Amino acid sequence: MEEYHRPCDEVGFNADEAHNIVKECIDGVLGGEDYNQNNINQWTASIVEQSLAHLVKLGKAYKYIVTCAVVQRSAYGFHTASSCFWDTTSDGTCTVRWENRTMNCIVNVFAIAIVL
Amino acid sequence: MRSFTSVGGPEDHATTLSVWGGPKTLFEEVTLETHRGVQRESAGGRRQREAWEAGAWTSLRSGRPPPRRAAPAAAALPQVMTMSDMARDRMAHSLKKRTSVSSLSSHDFRRKGPHGRAKDSVSTVSYMDDPSQHDDASHLTVQMENTYQMGPTKRFPVAIVNRILKDVLTNYLQEEQYEAELCRQLTKTISEVIKAQVKDLMVPRYKLIAVVHIGPRTSQSILIGSRCLWDPKNDTFSSYIFRNSSLFALANVYAVYFE
Repeated sequence: MEEYHRPCDEVGFNADEAHNIVKECIDGVLGGEDYNQNNINQWTASIVEQSLAHLVKLGKAYKYIVTCAVVQRSAYGFHTASSCFWDTTSDGTCTVRWENRTMNCIVNVFAIAIVL
Repeated sequence: MRSFTSVGGPEDHATTLSVWGGPKTLFEEVTLETHRGVQRESAGGRRQREAWEAGAWTSLRSGRPPPRRAAPAAAALPQVMTMSDMARDRMAHSLKKRTSVSSLSSHDFRRKGPHGRAKDSVSTVSYMDDPSQHDDASHLTVQMENTYQMGPTKRFPVAIVNRILKDVLTNYLQEEQYEAELCRQLTKTISEVIKAQVKDLMVPRYKLIAVVHIGPRTSQSILIGSRCLWDPKNDTFSSYIFRNSSLFALANVYAVYFE
């Protein structure tokens, strides 16, 4: 049985590329909007789905997990932490923080390599 | 946002790196912490790189030190050590490239305490701030052999992990009030504790991601959602929300099967 060798064009997860993709998605959905309780469900769903769709279009052999948190801007803070058990040579993560006048948005992307 | 302006300097991230190896599997653990703040671009990236190379600590470590698991570097297999060098260098290399907020700037490598439950595995801790070990083999990736398995031998126990999340969150947060510095530390601690406990379940060939969100219960509104592109037959997640009078906490564990 022959082994399938992955094309070695790039090793590891390209966080910059993912960062740009996600930032564009957020700008597209939330840009110019104010925090609105009625729309917030729809906005998070769009951000997450669009980010996923664009990440898949990169055509890399990865499984993706995209998390999005949208918070109303206030005097209070908000903490997020993540801990990952994976293969750091091939898997990676990227976090995008975005804000405007009325809200903050944090998107985490985790990418786990598929060995074909 | 008073709690964030007080933390200056490099990005507020922490990383821990350790290698858990066994005869067949080799994974690296990475802990990342992020918190809401202003997006920083290349200036932050440069500061981050300098802080990283100097092995500097940020003010994150001023709070109470989180409990750590031990890292006995006993009887490491030769492949394990190579892998940890390679992986560390890869990590170093990939981190150096990052200038966005997703990169890391402080190092958290204190691991103490007993860790003796894995029978056929070794654990080592490697620090992020020694770029001196440069290996030519760092550019090679590990080629995995075919397992000839159609699926996982043991499925991920979602109910047990739900219970773990509930126990951990309740134990750590039952009596706590929301405070910025304390909760910053707590999120990192809790995510590591959750990861460690789920690892101890010894479900083979599963990669784990534990994400913890903590925030105050005030009049502000928040929505947290996630979507995953994976193989739904084998991959799954587990989630728990904890609330008390002054704060809420959400813990998610994603389990991805390594085929």
